[in-house]
Amino acid sequence: MKVKAKLKGDIVKVKALAKHAMTTYDQAKKKTGNSDDANFITRVTATVNGKVVYEVSTSQFLSKNPIMKFQFKAVGVSKGDKVVMTWVDRKGNTKSGKGKIK
Amino acid sequence: MQRRKFLSLSGLAAVAAMAPASVNAEDFRKSKPTVWTAHTVDDAITAMYGTTAATESGVTLTMPDVASNGGAVPVNVKSDIDAKSVAIFQNANPEAAIAAFTVHENSIINYDLKIKLKSDGTPITVTAIVEGKDGKLYVGKKTLTVALGGCEG
Repeated sequence: MKVKAKLKGDIVKVKALAKHAMTTYDQAKKKTGNSDDANFITRVTATVNGKVVYEVSTSQFLSKNPIMKFQFKAVGVSKGDKVVMTWVDRKGNTKSGKGKIK
Repeated sequence: MQRRKFLSLSGLAAVAAMAPASVNAEDFRKSKPTVWTAHTVDDAITAMYGTTAATESGVTLTMPDVASNGGAVPVNVKSDIDAKSVAIFQNANPEAAIAAFTVHENSIINYDLKIKLKSDGTPITVTAIVEGKDGKLYVGKKTLTVALGGCEG
């Protein structure tokens, strides 16, 4: 996962890109005949210094390689701290990425 | 006697270890599985919050009026409401739910996502629900069309 974070004033803006095919049940059915082959990100979390700042449960309707943007208040966060983001998909695969706050 | 003491102690330790560490986060896919299989927006909202009664104010949902590519339609949800959670639904795809955010202490409700929308030429309504800390629901809606085949015109 690619993560970019920027501190501006007292707000941190984060932009993240997850590389994932995000196949829906319909797409999987068309391709393999089995809708259970669908695989998509079901959950994304972001933490800074061990504190959760972003958390989302998602369905198959996020785009392919989804881009996510969010903001949070920079309380107890300074430049150089790392935003750690992790996604989990339907098959249980997981991947994480880090981005330094600039 | 000593053995008994040891056993009771280890029993206590096991219980302590099993207690979950501060459950602040919620996995909506596990806690509310019916939300993700509901076919209509109303069903999904009811599955998520138990009601569909919502005030239409305080939530801004920004999307293009005409999306050229149904494979990646940008969505932005903004709100100043002191909220517990935010959820996004739509009425074009086979299932209604798209995403459910948990709002944390320092979170700002200003979420951008890219979503897939099935395009059959008819207008699509995307609904964003914000669950306030006061227990009320607030809703923001946006109607748009998706151009077929990924080309405009």
